[in-house]
Amino acid sequence: MPRTSNRALVNGVVALLVVVAAACSRPKAVVAPEVSPAAESAQPTDGRDRDGTTQVQSEPTISAAGVPEEAVSATDLPADIEALNRAGYLKDAFFETDKSDLREDTRATLAADAAWLKAHPTVKVTIEGHCDERNTAEYNLALGWRRANAAKAYLASLGVAAERISTISYGEEKPFALGRDEGSWSQNRRAHFVVTSK
Amino acid sequence: MRNLTSTVVFSLAIASPVVGHAQEELYLHVTSPGLQRVVVAAPDFERRAGSDPPGSAEFASTLRKDLGEAVAITLLPDDRARLVEVDPTNQGLTRQRWRAVGAQFLLQGSLAGAGSQLVVEVRLFDLASGEVAYSKRLQSGAPLAPTMAHTLANDLVHLFTGRPGPFLSRIAFVSDRSGSKELWIMRWDGADPQQLTTHRSIALGPAWSPDGQWLAFTSFLRGNPQLLLLRPTEGYLKPVAALPGVNTSASFSPDGARIAFAAGADGNTDIYVVPVAGGTPERLTSSRAIDTQPAWAPNGRQIAFTSTAAGAPQVFLMDAEGSNIRRLTLGDTFADEAAWAPDGVRLAYTSFVADRFQIAILDLRTNTRSVVGAAGNNESPCWSPDGTMLAFVSDRSGRKQIYVTDPAGKPRQVTIDGNNLQPAWVAQLQ
Repeated sequence: MPRTSNRALVNGVVALLVVVAAACSRPKAVVAPEVSPAAESAQPTDGRDRDGTTQVQSEPTISAAGVPEEAVSATDLPADIEALNRAGYLKDAFFETDKSDLREDTRATLAADAAWLKAHPTVKVTIEGHCDERNTAEYNLALGWRRANAAKAYLASLGVAAERISTISYGEEKPFALGRDEGSWSQNRRAHFVVTSK
Repeated sequence: MRNLTSTVVFSLAIASPVVGHAQEELYLHVTSPGLQRVVVAAPDFERRAGSDPPGSAEFASTLRKDLGEAVAITLLPDDRARLVEVDPTNQGLTRQRWRAVGAQFLLQGSLAGAGSQLVVEVRLFDLASGEVAYSKRLQSGAPLAPTMAHTLANDLVHLFTGRPGPFLSRIAFVSDRSGSKELWIMRWDGADPQQLTTHRSIALGPAWSPDGQWLAFTSFLRGNPQLLLLRPTEGYLKPVAALPGVNTSASFSPDGARIAFAAGADGNTDIYVVPVAGGTPERLTSSRAIDTQPAWAPNGRQIAFTSTAAGAPQVFLMDAEGSNIRRLTLGDTFADEAAWAPDGVRLAYTSFVADRFQIAILDLRTNTRSVVGAAGNNESPCWSPDGTMLAFVSDRSGRKQIYVTDPAGKPRQVTIDGNNLQPAWVAQLQ
């Protein structure tokens, strides 16, 4: 085999190896080239061999992301509505571990909430679904979503217009109690009411 | 050409045995049988013409550290290397001597300066055949000497395993160290942590595009959670999905064209797929149960996911079109957060064993399950790009921290400040 074709093989394999790092999801075994002893003794003296040099580049720099203009904070409520929330007319509904079924006492709480909402027909609320810290973060987001919507569906069944109720899940992201025991966990398994409009 | 891949394999050991129920399958070592590390002799590289090329010390120390941490490679111990008498006039004889003390490969190289540049030439000899298995000439400015060493070490890992080495890899993760849950990125060993978002909201579930260009994640920035794409090298952010529901658990298809995620109206959560380029999400599952945590298989044809269809969360598998759903985890009371190894055969996930969350590995070829037992609760497993190491989250130190297994399989803590969650490993940032 002429030496030039050996070098072409080596260069081709080197080029393959350079792009290897980006190919993590397309696993292809790049196998070692078989190089004859003749190529082994080749010295990189002419231009063609220098073309085989890998010029190592610096890694890309990392930039922090900007904030999109439409960013909103769920806690930015007018002062009078914050006061209404602090007054606590609407009681939160609590759940069993890993459940979104409504307990008997949860139904009673929600029935009282429904009565208050019907007596105040302009009020709009967000029901937040919350979970204790057990189970994984993203499973808990799905579980909290179920809890919030179970509470909403029950209120709707009692005659509260569904358009007045929005729902969001915070999963285990915003715990009410920070202990790592059943006393705290039971406090965190809830559908929490936030009045968003009078 | 010979396939070196078949001669090497990985062993993932564990820190300590788990005391569990008798019926649990507990293993001290999570190993792929029949494979072993290659023994590489790496004598000090020759420095041309008695010079001290710029960056050569950093190159040498970085390369030695990398090769010492490569799961597929064992460096020939110094006490054996010292036995080799180098005969400069007879390279063949010298190689025989390296082989005689147990080396399978010999990495030889030279370092030279060219102005402010460092030039490295390397050859890897297969001592069994005498052939050159790999050769390369690297050149760069002296400050990039560590990057040159990482590039070379990655090449060697790739040569032996067919998979990308970890030495330029990074881990994206969620940290609350700034006071809110933000996305961060660090090197795989925990070095150079950098904050990617400063949204003062909640960021969750980072997932890399296969090309290392994009991070998909869930953000509460606009109130309801939505799926965003972030380009870490540009700080560029764009929305990709905002369905009713949680919009969590992004997982890219292996071709990078689509993202599987979890969302759904009215409390139900199902698996959806959305084109990265934009378009209408397509619903894949339609059970009344919670379906979440999709994980696109490396073959592109299947998606693992978590479902409560059988009661407690379990890992299921479906075809990428949403059909042919079958349950994968049968011996767990809880299974979530499935993560495919790059080989497409092993699936790491979070199980619940003896009252604690533990990482389990399911081998789909043998249908056997191993629990990677360790102290505390352990969750959110994530494979290294070459499938030889795991990153995961443990609360063994009190707060939640990210751990990465070392070459012996022992977890080593790579984060310290705050709580650090949901590691996502990428071979190289692009």
